[in-house]
Amino acid sequence: MAPPTRAGDYPFAPVDRVNAELFTLTYGAIVRQLLTDFEEVEEVNKQLDTMGYNIGVRLIDDFLAKSNITRCSEFKDTAEVIAKVGFKMFLGVSATVSNWSADGSECSLILDDNPLADFVELPDTCQGLFYCNILCGVIRGALEMVSMRTEVKFVKDMLRGDDAFEIRLKLLEQVAEEYPYKDDE
Amino acid sequence: MPGGGREVAESCVDSLNLELVATYCKRLHPNKPELAARRIEAIGYQVGLQLAERYTKERPRFADHLEAIKFICKDFWAEVFRKQVDNLKTNHRGVFVLQDNKFRWLTRISVDSAPPGEAAQMDVNAAANASRASQAAGQYLYFPCGLIRGALTNLGVACAVSAEVSTLPACSFVVRVKV
Amino acid sequence: MIASVAVVGQENNPLYLQSFIDGDDALKFHYIVHSSLDIIEEKVNNPKKPGVSLNETYLGLLYPTEDYRVFGYLSNTKIKFILVTTDQDVRDADVRNFFHRFHAAYVEAASNPFHVPGKRITATAFTERVTNIVKSFGASSLA
Repeated sequence: MAPPTRAGDYPFAPVDRVNAELFTLTYGAIVRQLLTDFEEVEEVNKQLDTMGYNIGVRLIDDFLAKSNITRCSEFKDTAEVIAKVGFKMFLGVSATVSNWSADGSECSLILDDNPLADFVELPDTCQGLFYCNILCGVIRGALEMVSMRTEVKFVKDMLRGDDAFEIRLKLLEQVAEEYPYKDDE
Repeated sequence: MPGGGREVAESCVDSLNLELVATYCKRLHPNKPELAARRIEAIGYQVGLQLAERYTKERPRFADHLEAIKFICKDFWAEVFRKQVDNLKTNHRGVFVLQDNKFRWLTRISVDSAPPGEAAQMDVNAAANASRASQAAGQYLYFPCGLIRGALTNLGVACAVSAEVSTLPACSFVVRVKV
Repeated sequence: MIASVAVVGQENNPLYLQSFIDGDDALKFHYIVHSSLDIIEEKVNNPKKPGVSLNETYLGLLYPTEDYRVFGYLSNTKIKFILVTTDQDVRDADVRNFFHRFHAAYVEAASNPFHVPGKRITATAFTERVTNIVKSFGASSLA
């Protein structure tokens, strides 16, 4: 288990916030359109991941600026920052980090609530769909911009009847930074 | 307050809009702009239907088309685009023009999406690039056109909606009511 | 007690119909709902009293039968909600409160990206919500 952390440990600059329903409904309509466009559910999962990746790549600068976070060099800290600051800042919910592998290269982000899934009830025809898969892409894209190559996937999904959303995060490779960043202290 | 108070960062909405256009116009149908436009419009239409349902939950029914269109210009616009329509014109024969002098999504998109290098170039060749920018901006209006058509359709106003960009970030939406 | 409830779409297409009385009453309720649609149409198009109440979503008592009272509600998006009770004496506030919650449940169901507009509502979350609303009918006077 990760050490307990309080959300207040990570203050971040205020961001413009809007009612979530437009975002939630837009995402839902995109997923439904993709399911119509592609017969294979697997392909829809892939498209959502790609969309997320492109978003993550663009979002990271904004995130670093607003969160006042100096670049995380440790994967362990990075996971905490995603869970406590990233999710909170963008989606208004926070995740917990748990299930670390022995070598510290893998962990899970656990969410028991997530605005993307509001109003959603999956029909039986959507077996195999990871409805919120865009989130995996966002995390993967953002981490790649801070030199961490990762594999990110859903292993539990409340829309499929699991007790929580669980995103498995695996560090594949950490590329050395061009300009090593030293903390002042 | 419709929705019940859950909030997300506005950049989530912007990111999704940008990526929606990139997905259909650049990745999936780069050589079929009309097909990409239809798909994006259909996504907007579904959301428009749903938003009309949500935003009118606590309201008495609209008496006529004009009331429904005024609702779109004021309350709907304020919820979705965070201001009201600046000017509403009609020819009294079923055509309504909704003009927004500073359309929120175009201001957000032009600022946020241009990479640093491109932005600098824009300053130098501002005039030359202006028309190209307007053209590109058009892609970001397929979704709002669908939103407006979906919302009005659900409020009993069957219509077609198109958009025109004049000078960024101003644009107008033309609603043609079907008879 | 509530005998049955229904949601009917813009083209008078049934979206949801649920009876809460045991027995072979299904056909009868279909008939009641069907007849009430004509009355809704009439109420909306030829209001007896012109004025502010003209466009109110709550339409009140549609018609009483020997065994039931039928109430109606019409949303801005022309979705009809119908309530059939066995009580002869129902409080107006309870009926209004019921429709308010019934409509809210419908709006949530219509927000499901997999709900097809105009098609029957099959989501289990909606059925559960409606069952709860029906159970608590008249239990509290909160409007």
